[in-house]
Amino acid sequence: MKSIKILERLLAAIPIMIGVAILVFLFVRLTPGDPVDLMMGSAGSVSQQEIQALQEEFDLDKPLHVQLYIFLKDVVRGDLGDSFTQREPVTDIIGRALPATIELAFGAAFFAVLFAIPIGVYSAVKQNSITDRLSMAFSFLGISMPAFWFGIILIIVFGVKLGWLPISGRLDYGFNFPSVTGLYLIDTVLARDWPALKNAVLHLILPSIALGMQLLAVLARVTRSSMLEVLRQDYVTLARAKGLREFIVIVKHALRNALIPTITVLGIQIGVLLGGNMIIETVFAWPGLGRLAVDSIFSRDFPLIQGVVMIYAFTYVIANLVVDVLYTYINPKITL
Amino acid sequence: MLEIKNLAMAFETERGLVRAVNKVDLSVAEGEVMGIVGESGCGKSVTLLNILGLVPHPGKVLSGEIMFQGEDLLKKSKKEMRDIRGKDIAMIFQDPMTTLNPVFRIGEQIRESMRIHGLFKDVKGGFFKSARKHAEKDRAVELMEEVGIPSPETRYHNFPHEFSGGMQQRALIAIGLSCKPKLLLADEPTTALDVTIQAQILALMQKINQEHGAGIILVTHDLGVAAEFCHKIAVMYAGRIVEQGRTEQVMDNPHHPYTQGLLRSIPKMSSKKDRIEPIPGGVPDLAELKEECAFYPRCAKAHDKCLSQEVPMFDAGEGHTVRCYLYG
Amino acid sequence: MPVTKTPDGLSEEITPGHPLIHLLQIKTRIFLADFRGFIRKLKHHPSALIGALLIILFLVVAFFAPAVAPHDPFVGELSERLIAPSWLEGGVSQYILGTDQQGRDLLSRIIYGARISLWVGFISVTISVLIGTLLGAAAGYFRGKLDLFLSRTADLLLAFPFLIFAVAVMSFLGPGLINLILALTFKGWVEFFRLVRGEMLSEKTKEYVEAAKANGQSNLRIILSEVLPNIIHTIIVLGTLRMGFFIIMEASLSFLGLGIQPPDPAWGSMVNEGRQFMLNAWWLSTFPGAAILVLVLSINLFGEGLRDILDPRLKIE
Repeated sequence: MKSIKILERLLAAIPIMIGVAILVFLFVRLTPGDPVDLMMGSAGSVSQQEIQALQEEFDLDKPLHVQLYIFLKDVVRGDLGDSFTQREPVTDIIGRALPATIELAFGAAFFAVLFAIPIGVYSAVKQNSITDRLSMAFSFLGISMPAFWFGIILIIVFGVKLGWLPISGRLDYGFNFPSVTGLYLIDTVLARDWPALKNAVLHLILPSIALGMQLLAVLARVTRSSMLEVLRQDYVTLARAKGLREFIVIVKHALRNALIPTITVLGIQIGVLLGGNMIIETVFAWPGLGRLAVDSIFSRDFPLIQGVVMIYAFTYVIANLVVDVLYTYINPKITL
Repeated sequence: MLEIKNLAMAFETERGLVRAVNKVDLSVAEGEVMGIVGESGCGKSVTLLNILGLVPHPGKVLSGEIMFQGEDLLKKSKKEMRDIRGKDIAMIFQDPMTTLNPVFRIGEQIRESMRIHGLFKDVKGGFFKSARKHAEKDRAVELMEEVGIPSPETRYHNFPHEFSGGMQQRALIAIGLSCKPKLLLADEPTTALDVTIQAQILALMQKINQEHGAGIILVTHDLGVAAEFCHKIAVMYAGRIVEQGRTEQVMDNPHHPYTQGLLRSIPKMSSKKDRIEPIPGGVPDLAELKEECAFYPRCAKAHDKCLSQEVPMFDAGEGHTVRCYLYG
Repeated sequence: MPVTKTPDGLSEEITPGHPLIHLLQIKTRIFLADFRGFIRKLKHHPSALIGALLIILFLVVAFFAPAVAPHDPFVGELSERLIAPSWLEGGVSQYILGTDQQGRDLLSRIIYGARISLWVGFISVTISVLIGTLLGAAAGYFRGKLDLFLSRTADLLLAFPFLIFAVAVMSFLGPGLINLILALTFKGWVEFFRLVRGEMLSEKTKEYVEAAKANGQSNLRIILSEVLPNIIHTIIVLGTLRMGFFIIMEASLSFLGLGIQPPDPAWGSMVNEGRQFMLNAWWLSTFPGAAILVLVLSINLFGEGLRDILDPRLKIE
C-alpha cells in the first residue's frame, strides 16, 4: 500500500522534472548570443564549413521546437549532450564530479543532524538556562552567516593559523586506491587503505562544517521549538505516569514527535545544502558538481551548465520526495 | 491505603505564589471510590499529579505528606517513585485524544507499562525475548477485550488516530490497568466524550473497581457523576477541600454553601418546577488568595467572621466534615 | 474601466468612488494607528530594538557614505598595499581596517559596499512582494486557468534550489546590478505568491464570507477587508526575513564572480578578492564578510522581533 503511494509520488514528480528540463533548455536558447560564436570564442577566423559542422553537431540548425524535442528525448535517454569545452558527454563529466558532492553533502548533513538534535533537545529541556540561551544565540549567528565567509574563517583559523586540518581538495597526493564508488570514504575502506581513509576524513571535516553550519542552526532551532511544544503534551505526562525514566520519556516519547517538524524543515533546507554546495566547493577547491557548475559558467559551456543545473534540480526534487517518504514513516497520521 | 495529610503546593510565578492546593486532607481505603468535585482550576487535577510526583514546573510542594501503603510518597527517591507510577498507582487523563502518543501503535503503548515494570520478566526464551513479548501481547489483547475494545487482535496494531475518542479512553484505561494497580487516579475521564460514551466509560470503571478491587480517585466537575459512582465525595474550592463525607451525606444533606450551590446548579429531570440556579460570581484568582474563606464573595450566608481568619474543618457528625462557620 | 469577475459570474466595477477604495483608506488609517502601538511594543523587545538600531546605523552610513568614508573606495596607492589593520603590527592609524591589494582603504570600501547590499536587498524584496502578492491574490481569487498556470509555474520554480536558480539566471544574463535583482526576483516572488494565495483560499471558504455572500455583498470586498489586513503583517515579517536572505544570496553571487563585479565594492566580491591573500592578509576577507554577518543578523533580529510583535501565529520557521 505504502509502496504504491510512493510510486504515485514518484510519477507525480515526472512532470516537474520535464518542466525543469524545458525551462533549462529555454534559458540556454533564449540567452542572447549565438552558441556557436560562444563555442568558438576568440578562436579567431573560423570557416563557414566549420560553423555549419558545429551547428549540425549540436542541432542548432533546426527550428526551436525540434531542438526542444530532440533535447527532451535525449534527456529521457539519459543523454545530456556533449560539453562544448571538454568535448565529451556531459553525463560522464557530471558522473565524475557527483561522488565528491554526495560525500560532502552527507558529511554536512551528518555534522548538522549530529549536533542539532541534541542541542535542540537539551535547550528545550533546560529552557531559559544559560546553555539554552547561548546555543540559541549561536544558532541565530549561524543562520545569519554567509557560508563562504564562514568557510574562509575556518580555513584561516584551522588551516592557516593552527595548521590542524587540510584546507583544499579531497585528498593529498600520493594515495592510490581503486575507485569503485567514487566516494573516498567507502573506496578507502574497501581497499583497506587506512592512511588514505584518515586523510580523506580530515579533508572532509572543514568543508562539512562550513556547509552544514546553517543547517545545524536551523535544525537546532526547529527541534528546540517543537520539543517545547511536545513536552507540554498530555502524552508526555502519561509517559511519566507510566513510570518511565525521564531520559526515555524525552528521547522516545517526546523526540519522536518533535522530529516531525524537524524533518519537514530538513526537506526545505536541502535546497540550501545544494546551493551552499556550490559556494563551499569553490572555497575549498572541492572537485564536485558545484565547482563544475561555476567553472562551466565561466567557460560558457552551455550543455554543461544545462546538465549541472538539471541534475541539481532533479536531486532537489528527489531529495524532497525522500523526505516526504521519511515523513510518512515518522508520522503515522500521514499516508502521503 | 492512601492518606493525604495537610498537603499544600504552589506554583512560583512572576505574579507570586499561586497556591493550587492548600492544606488538603484526603483518604482512600482499599477498593474505595473517592470523588473530588469542583470547578475547573480549583486544584483537583493538580492534587492527582501530586500523588504521582508529577507536578509540572514551576510547581512546588510546600508541606504535608502523602502516605501510600504506610510510606510517604513525598520522601521517595525518583527511582522509587518511578517504580510506583504505572504499577501501584496508575492515572487516566482527561483528554484521550491528546494523551495517547500519536506515533506509537496502541498495542505497543499498552505493553510499555508491563515491560518497564517487568510484569513478565520471568518469562524466558525465544529470540530477542520473543516469549516475553508474546506474554505481554496476550495480556494486552486480553485487557483490550476487557475494557470493551472490539476485535482487539487487529486493533492492537492500530495507531491512536484510527480510534474514536471513546475507544481511545478505553485504551488508556487498559494502559492504566496493565500492571494491576492498587489505586487508579482518574482525572475527568469522561469530560471529553459524548454523553452516551461517558456512561459506558463510567460503567467500565465501576466494573474495574468491583472486579479488581482497585481504589479509585475520580476527579470531576460533575456532581451527578460523582454521586452515582463514588463512595465518598470531597468538594474542592480554590485549592481547599470545603466539604467531605460519604456520598449520601454530601448529596442528601449538603452543608457548605458552595456544595449547596453546586447542587442547585444541576438541572434535574424529575422536578420541572426547580429552576437551575447558577452560583453568582466567578472562581477567585489563586494568586490573590488570603487565609480567609475563598468563597466569601459569592456566598449568600457570609458574615464578618468568615473574613477574620482561616476557617477550620468542622465535624458535622459521622465523618462528615465541612469548612464553614455555620457548623462551628 | 477595470471589471473584475467573480467565480460565480457576478461582475463588479471598481471606480474611484467604489466602497472598496474607501475601505482601503480606512484600513490605511487603522494601520497608521497600529504603527504607533507597534513602536511602543518595539521598545519592550530588546533584540528587535537592537536589530532596528543597527539597521538604521547601516542605512545612515550607506546614505552618507561619501561623508563617512575616510578614503576614496576606488583609488588606492599601490605603495600602501596590504597594510594591516591599525591595531596590529604594521598597521597605520590612517587605515583603520587596513588596505587591500591595490592599496585602497578597506573600511571605506566596506562603507560603500553597504549601499549595494541594502539596495539589492530592499529592491529585490519589494519587487518580489509586489509581484507575489498581486499574482497570489489574483490566483486565489479568480482560481481557474490563471491559478493553474501560476501555481504550476511556482511549483516548477520551487524545484530549483534558490542559489542554483540564481546562478543559472546570472550565467545567462551576465553580471550586473539589474541582472542581479532580476535573478533574485525571478524566484523570490514564489514564496509571497504561495502565502497570499493560500490565505485567500482559506479565507474564501470561511463562514463569514458565505454569510456575506448570502447578504449580497461581493466577496472581493470581504476578502480585501478581511484577508489583506490579516496578511499584511505576515508579508512584512516574511519580507523582512527574506531581505536578510536576499542579501546573503547577493553576496554569494558576487562572491562567485557572477554578481557585482570589481572594482565596485560589493561585500561578497571583496571576500572573494581577499581570498588570494588569506595567508598574509586575513583581514581582507574577514571584515567584509563580518559586515554581511552583522547586517543580516540585525535584519533577522528585527524580523523575528517583528514576528513576535505583529504575527505571533507565524511561529514555524
